[in-house]
Amino acid sequence: MRKYLLKRVFYMLLTLFLVATITFFLMKLMPGTPYSNQEKMTPQQIKIMNEQYGLNKPVWLQYLIYLGGMLHGDLGTSFQYSNQPVSYLISSRIGASAQLGLQAMIFGVLVGIIIGSFAAINRNTWIDTLCTVLSIIGKSVPNFVLAVLLQFYIALKLGWFPIADWGGFSYTVLPTIALGVGPLAETARFIRTGMVDVLSSDYIELARAKGLTKFGIVYHHALRNSLIPLVTLIGPYTVALMTGSMVIENIFSIPGIGEQFVKSITTNDYPTIMGVTMLFSAGLVVVILLTDIVYGIIDPRIRLSGNGD
Amino acid sequence: MEEKIKLSPDSFEALPKAEELDNEKIAAPSLTFVQDAWRRLKMNKGAFISLWIIVLMIVVAFGSSFFIDHASLVKSAPNYANLPAKIPGVPINGFNGKLKVSGEWVDEYKQNNIPSGKYFVLGTDYLGRSLAERIIYGTKVSLIVALVATFFDLTIGVAYGIISGWKGGRVDNVMQRIIEIISSVPSLVIVVLMLLVLKPGMTSIIAAIAISSWTTMARMIRAETLQLKSQEYVLAARSLGESAPKIAWKHLVPNLSSIIIIQTMYTIPTAIFFEAFLSFIGIGISAPETSLGVLLNDGQKNFQFLPYQMWYPAIVLCVLMIAFNLLGDGLRDAFDPKTRR
Amino acid sequence: MKINKFAKLGTVVALSSLFLVACGSKSSSTASKQVLNWNETAELPTMDLSTATDVVSFDTLNNTNEGLYRLGKDSKIEPGIATKTQVSSDGMKYTFTLRKNAKWSNGQKVTAKDFVYSWQRTVNPKTASQYAYLFSGIANADDIMNGKKAVSTLGIKAEGNYKLVVTLDKKLPYFKLLMGFPVFFPQNEKAVKEYGSKYGTASKYMVYNGPFKLTKWTGSNLSWTLKKNNNYWDKKDVKLSAINFKVNKSTTTSYNLYQSGKLDETTLSAEQAKQLANSKELVTRKGASTFYLEYNQTKKEYQNANIRKAISLVIDRKQFVNKVLGDGSTVAKGLASTGLAKLNGEDFASAASVKSAVATNRAEAKKLWAKGLKELGVTSLNIQLLSDDTDKAKDSTTFLQSQIEENLSGAKVSVSNVPFKTRLARSESGDFGIVVTGWGADFSDPISFLDLFTSDNSQNNGKWKNAEYDKLIEASKTTDAGNTTKRWNDLVKAQKILLNDQGISPLYQQATATLVKSKVKGVIYNAAGVNYNFKNTYIAK
Repeated sequence: MRKYLLKRVFYMLLTLFLVATITFFLMKLMPGTPYSNQEKMTPQQIKIMNEQYGLNKPVWLQYLIYLGGMLHGDLGTSFQYSNQPVSYLISSRIGASAQLGLQAMIFGVLVGIIIGSFAAINRNTWIDTLCTVLSIIGKSVPNFVLAVLLQFYIALKLGWFPIADWGGFSYTVLPTIALGVGPLAETARFIRTGMVDVLSSDYIELARAKGLTKFGIVYHHALRNSLIPLVTLIGPYTVALMTGSMVIENIFSIPGIGEQFVKSITTNDYPTIMGVTMLFSAGLVVVILLTDIVYGIIDPRIRLSGNGD
Repeated sequence: MEEKIKLSPDSFEALPKAEELDNEKIAAPSLTFVQDAWRRLKMNKGAFISLWIIVLMIVVAFGSSFFIDHASLVKSAPNYANLPAKIPGVPINGFNGKLKVSGEWVDEYKQNNIPSGKYFVLGTDYLGRSLAERIIYGTKVSLIVALVATFFDLTIGVAYGIISGWKGGRVDNVMQRIIEIISSVPSLVIVVLMLLVLKPGMTSIIAAIAISSWTTMARMIRAETLQLKSQEYVLAARSLGESAPKIAWKHLVPNLSSIIIIQTMYTIPTAIFFEAFLSFIGIGISAPETSLGVLLNDGQKNFQFLPYQMWYPAIVLCVLMIAFNLLGDGLRDAFDPKTRR
Repeated sequence: MKINKFAKLGTVVALSSLFLVACGSKSSSTASKQVLNWNETAELPTMDLSTATDVVSFDTLNNTNEGLYRLGKDSKIEPGIATKTQVSSDGMKYTFTLRKNAKWSNGQKVTAKDFVYSWQRTVNPKTASQYAYLFSGIANADDIMNGKKAVSTLGIKAEGNYKLVVTLDKKLPYFKLLMGFPVFFPQNEKAVKEYGSKYGTASKYMVYNGPFKLTKWTGSNLSWTLKKNNNYWDKKDVKLSAINFKVNKSTTTSYNLYQSGKLDETTLSAEQAKQLANSKELVTRKGASTFYLEYNQTKKEYQNANIRKAISLVIDRKQFVNKVLGDGSTVAKGLASTGLAKLNGEDFASAASVKSAVATNRAEAKKLWAKGLKELGVTSLNIQLLSDDTDKAKDSTTFLQSQIEENLSGAKVSVSNVPFKTRLARSESGDFGIVVTGWGADFSDPISFLDLFTSDNSQNNGKWKNAEYDKLIEASKTTDAGNTTKRWNDLVKAQKILLNDQGISPLYQQATATLVKSKVKGVIYNAAGVNYNFKNTYIAK
């Protein structure tokens, strides 16, 4: 196990290094300069500024400098926010996004499991159809549409929750719902499918024959086995949600990282693009490792092995 | 107990030869796998209706190519801008050219002095273009985006996942790292780069989808394959000397079908929403073309004043998605050997 | 200036609102009512005036700091730190006497040295100020920016603590207006040194000498508050106790907040503006920026004046601004925007307008188009229309595409809406046919626009060239710089040449529709330079 972990951590670092490399060079291919007022700048000024930011150096050298900085935890300075270190920018913005993403995921997965199990137990009845249709609608309405509807009807018309802004828990309710409906729908569908499979298998028949209660069967046997495909999905999904959703952040005026990131790409804010990408990537590889470990725990059929087959 | 039953050859009567064969005959025609699946699909009413809805939508969307071309899309009539739906002879508010303006129903057609014969079944957009026409065209574009994404999911995603899971070891390791890298590089960076090389529009969106859409499918398939490959029937097939591709095709794919189908059902909206997101930040499909995502995004902005501009495309998208999903469920039940009971 | 701001609808104006009405509740009951909740459409990226580049930063700087003058209504110069100004007879030397009661929020006095320090810091190439170009004309500024001379040679000297002498290289008719722009404000050397690289990155790493002090800004958050500055020399005229700014990027959201009373002001999208056209609270903020079509004249088809004229004549600009944009934007009269400058009561835009350049005449257009195609020896033409990816830009290109294709046979328009940076890169490399672009004035003078189209200007992406035009612009800066009428005539003539040749096709002068609660009074908005001045704003009872 220990050997396996060491090996995986090594691979994680390798992956991160490759992501950094690829993103860095792709980014350099993007058109334009990072200066926001470049049409007013003289060619000489641009030259001086390029020298200041090291953008006149060959790309490979910039790359080495960047990697060197990253090893020291220095992600560079943002172009959009002058003099603002990227690490500060990210750390001050990631909190809201992470909280929202996590809440949305918990909400989505829990409610999804309940709806999914409910549908599977009542398979091929109207309850099943209702659950299915509801979760499909949840997945087929883009979250920006849902967000607008929630904001208009629940917040403005009914006044139950704040319209926008970021403050206490009540501010997070509507964005959490808007963001969580996607994972909710997917969870419900996966759980239903997995459970329908499991419920018709022999060991469930046995459990039934042994006289276990319906709840006991579902909880102890069916659920555990239906969770497996879900685990693969949840990890990366959570990371994606936690690194921010520009759309939801825009509509609910939340100080999250999503919008920053999109903006950094369209404004060539190289250090921010790199910073957020690396953060996302690191989150992703860690989560994937965790997923693989969790597999071994919930499904005894899969063995973790350091040597492959 | 002394009494013995005496059986003599007389007690038995031979059947005529012909009848003997007939008894063994299977009355129903023998069905191939596909025929069987089709039969079962037909029994599932929801799925079957959905199939027809999808066929209808595809026919309308793609058939419209003959009527809705570049020239008709590009036409604008700002004098007819933002009119609500009007269907002659339907006196229901919302379909009679009236719009709720600060709590009251106002006849927008009268207000804007629209000639009496002129009407738009689903209203118009900000340039006075027929919303119905644009929704039909938008459905076509969104369907294309969705189908392309599905195609990559089903080919690259499934094949990649099965190979990775089946081979295991070093191959799996390398393949998984590649997926991690691909999912880490922001797809927006790729789109912006595509804008540089290609023109904004379909091609760059499709290229970006092709690069990144299949990774989730591949990961899910791999996870299931890891589980399946230790199953007895796979082991049996292996020991019988079946070749790996054949095992994959005959045993793995059918058993993976539920995952494949559900995941595909999510690829479709994800692709449509990715396109919508691009139009949200302004680099989606280029004018005069449109997509459901673009229409939804435009409608969303005017929701407080012109709710119909958001509702109609949203309804079309929902119906499409529900149909796809119910059909997907039906297909899964029809194909997955585990649910054959 | 900052085309960026005009191009990006979202970032255009600072709207802000105040979300939390409760913010001012600590102060006394009468004062607590003097709280304004303002909507902003973009974050505040920096408070370092040397490196600021965007509207939000400049607006905030303008309200928290003060330079020699403050720009009042209609860009009128009002007293700031300077109490008296002497101009030498040749107009090359300005002597300012500074007030003695101006103080920084750290307690230090505002002196002439603060100005010298600030200006030298901005023009220093090491500071990498993107607005340093505004210093061009002040003695040695250009050479310093290009690294040829020492920073200390800049034409600004402190004579004692309260006298400031500025010498110029060439006459700047708009010099006083520039002094109201934050790049020319003073900076407190002690604060800059003390905070080092953190200077201007959060409200606590900054000192203020203006009507308000910035608080609650962490450098990247979405809300901040301006509090009345009790060290301000003219604090008796500042009536607001606080202004709460809140960034909302979606106009749907800010309109909802406005309706629920959490905001006193909101920016409207085009559709919202159209629907709310009759609202009593609708306020249209006219910008000093003009949008126009720029033709790529390195391409054969656009060198043909008939083609250019045909395209321009086919556009129904009235319908465009009223039905498509709908936000109060008006049909452009020419390149320079209306309201920039006046001579003898006549606005420059009217004086230098050419009717035919912005008219609609489809019959004439068709004739010219046919003629142009013949001259080119082709029967159809592919037009690549390039613009930004904002809602407004997309609406514009869609409309233009339909107008051109519907009315000019053989015209095929392909539209590219790309992110701003990509658009700039493409414009610069000449990778476009026609680009829909805009320009905003940095200060209230037509030269801010007309400079763009001299043949050696690096921003002249279409490469339109005209020797006479170049000569006239040159004359306005040199031989005629001292003579207001002559200079005016040069500029009028130059713009007419540009328009008559259809070197560009003006489309519209941009405006932003906003809703402002009627109780909010005394907001000063200027189109050119800094937009908002809240010094005299108050909430009516």
